[in-house]
Amino acid sequence: MRLAEGWSISRKRVISIITTKNLQVSYLNKQVLKNFTCEIPKNKITVIIGSSGCGKSTFLKSINRIVEEEGGRLSGEIFIGDKNISDLPKETLRKQVGLVFQTPLVFPFSVEKNILYPLNYHFSLSKSEQADKVKHYLQLTGLYEEIKQDLDMPAYKLSGGQKQRLSIARCLCIEPAILMLDEPCSALDMKNTISIEKLLIELKEFITVVIVTHNLSQAKRIADHVLFMDNGELIEAGDYSIFSDPKEELTRAYIEYMNY
Amino acid sequence: MIKYRNTLLKLTAWLCGGLVVTATFFIFGYILYHGALNITWNFVSDRPRGVPIGAEGGVFPAITGTVYLGALSGLMAGLVGSITAIFLVFYCRNRYVKGIIKASIYFLSGMSSILFGLVGYTILLHMLGMPRSLLAAGITVAVMILPFITIRIIKLFEEDSTELLHASLCLGVSKTYILRKIILPSYYINILTSITLGVAYGIGAAAPVMLTGAVLNAPTPQSVTQPFMSLSYHLFILVSEGISLTNAYASAFLLMAILLVLNAACRGLEYFKKKGD
Amino acid sequence: MKEKTALCLFAAVSFVIPAIFIVILVHVIYQTIPAATGLGMLLFDTSGVWRPLGQTPSFSILPVISATMYVAFLAVAIAAPIGGMAAIFLNYYAGRRLTKLVLAFVDLLAGVPSVIYGFIGLVVVVRNLERIFNMSAGESILAAALVLSVMLLPYIISTYSESIEKAKNKYDTASRALGVSAEYSVLKVIIPITKRGAAAAVISAFGRASSETIAVMMVIGNAPIFPRLLGRGQTISGLTALEIGSAEIGSVHASAIYAANLMLMLTLSVILLITYFLRRKLLSEYDKI
Repeated sequence: MRLAEGWSISRKRVISIITTKNLQVSYLNKQVLKNFTCEIPKNKITVIIGSSGCGKSTFLKSINRIVEEEGGRLSGEIFIGDKNISDLPKETLRKQVGLVFQTPLVFPFSVEKNILYPLNYHFSLSKSEQADKVKHYLQLTGLYEEIKQDLDMPAYKLSGGQKQRLSIARCLCIEPAILMLDEPCSALDMKNTISIEKLLIELKEFITVVIVTHNLSQAKRIADHVLFMDNGELIEAGDYSIFSDPKEELTRAYIEYMNY
Repeated sequence: MIKYRNTLLKLTAWLCGGLVVTATFFIFGYILYHGALNITWNFVSDRPRGVPIGAEGGVFPAITGTVYLGALSGLMAGLVGSITAIFLVFYCRNRYVKGIIKASIYFLSGMSSILFGLVGYTILLHMLGMPRSLLAAGITVAVMILPFITIRIIKLFEEDSTELLHASLCLGVSKTYILRKIILPSYYINILTSITLGVAYGIGAAAPVMLTGAVLNAPTPQSVTQPFMSLSYHLFILVSEGISLTNAYASAFLLMAILLVLNAACRGLEYFKKKGD
Repeated sequence: MKEKTALCLFAAVSFVIPAIFIVILVHVIYQTIPAATGLGMLLFDTSGVWRPLGQTPSFSILPVISATMYVAFLAVAIAAPIGGMAAIFLNYYAGRRLTKLVLAFVDLLAGVPSVIYGFIGLVVVVRNLERIFNMSAGESILAAALVLSVMLLPYIISTYSESIEKAKNKYDTASRALGVSAEYSVLKVIIPITKRGAAAAVISAFGRASSETIAVMMVIGNAPIFPRLLGRGQTISGLTALEIGSAEIGSVHASAIYAANLMLMLTLSVILLITYFLRRKLLSEYDKI
């Protein structure tokens, strides 16, 4: 299998499951997440849905503790496997939990160096191994075929969709146990969206995927597990059946509205 | 009524605009014209001579003294300023610590230049017993330009580098790695120009050095403990003591030329950097 | 480990600026004590006599304070309307090329050191005042205010021009779409909207004016007496620069000079606070719109 080849460096990893207990997050005086308790299953694609501003992105950012860098305050407990994340060094935690932002941000150097930047920090590889890795992860996201002649070109010259796929590749190359994506497909066309979705489905054999999306049909295509949030609270969690038979009134209203 | 007011507004706007444009070109034109008439190679390369001193001869030690002062204060203020900016933007997460540092910077940026001269004079020369020297003046000027430089660098970082920081942190790399690989490589030119502009501001100010180290006549300083000549202070003395108008024009021309070259260099560097991106 | 060392080092260096701030503040207050205890309210004696040397020394800092305020006020009163109108001119009447050129030059003008302004002030402004008013010596409050106002122009123009540009980008098209003239739009929309920005610019210009040293010193005549428009005067900064070198540190004389500087510091701090809150309000306003 194509994917497994690249996944050889760190076979040993924690049990990929996220559990949060009474997670509270606030920025300045505004509470964004309230008493958030949830579980995210291992080797599944978990989709988080909910109206904008309800705290979906904040939830992702609190898992890898970027919230604290932004000046937010975090209380409550988050476990990855059986480890409390506050016991882990931040760098170790963030290596295990990859996060891809909604608006792609490429670093101000070449496409190749964008991949090498995190790679060289976490692994020490020979020149040929480095080149192989870059090629492999660019292939995974379908970017390699498009720009293989010119890996030295500055990354900012890529199109929006290409940038997004580059940042996914950059995130995958450090082999996270959990991949979190914040509306990754909002800048992509249908063709690229489908290829990203296929990639995620392939990936879940190795890692756990958490994805925030506004696109209900996308959620239906890939979801194994669904969390519905509203106003900083978890309203309903469930499997695929949540789309056809929601238990909560709020969920029903949201799904009807999005289907409309 | 409306028509009358409109015309009045238009008229005053044109008048004031014209006035400002004229004044601007007059100031540059005046110094450049008179300077070009009065400057000679001898003036640039010779030391001050004549009675009273400065009436004849040149300003060579003042040029070197000014350059040394700029380098010394730029080094000190640049180091402290850029590290403070890095700490504030990338490391400090405590709101109160951030507030205290920012408030001190803001406060210092609004003080008068002579206050730095006064405090530097009393503390460095009288309490710590330093001689009137390049070092004392350098420290005083460094303190004066420190808030200027720090504010510029903070603005630089705050514009878009926090995004870079967060995106990098998500990849699990450490902050020092980010600084080394991304922030410094992509900002070092802007940091350098911020420091240079601060230096240009510092060497133009006569007030902080007149009490702490600048003197009427001194050779090029051999060490930081010696007194030195500063072009701006020299010009101040030439004019206020009425020593020599010819030499004052030439000194003003030189001072302006140095500052314009520094400014142009900064602009050029930033322009090419923008183009390179 | 490396990370921790870096953090500690950076934090330590970052406290240099607060430390300097505290040292300056404490030092100035401490140095003021001899004058405050020895003279008390005599520092603000309305006779206005500053005579540090002589049989009966007298240390009233009232004349230098009033001269500082007078000159700064006058300079702002001259520069603010001219600078404001020039900013309107640049945004509405000058072509794009000319605006760019002028703003670039105005930027350079802000970098011209004050000793050069003082020099030009002495050979151009002072000499012409002597000619016009038939004065024996043209060094005067008026000369200082004129020189200062030219020095304030770049600052006022660049800050106010920025607010106008923001307001113009936002509202001008909508306003002009209603068929009103550019002037009407400026008077009814742009000026009212930018009044907070203008206030901030004017107040901090006043702060700059009252703390200027060299340029004012060169053209004001340096006599510590109550200011008259065409008479000589002395500002706090000028007094400091001229007399601290000959005063013994710790003496009442030096302490009185420190007292004057403390007053200036207080004034500047109030100005900084006001502009800070004005600017913050301004920022949140722009966010809202």
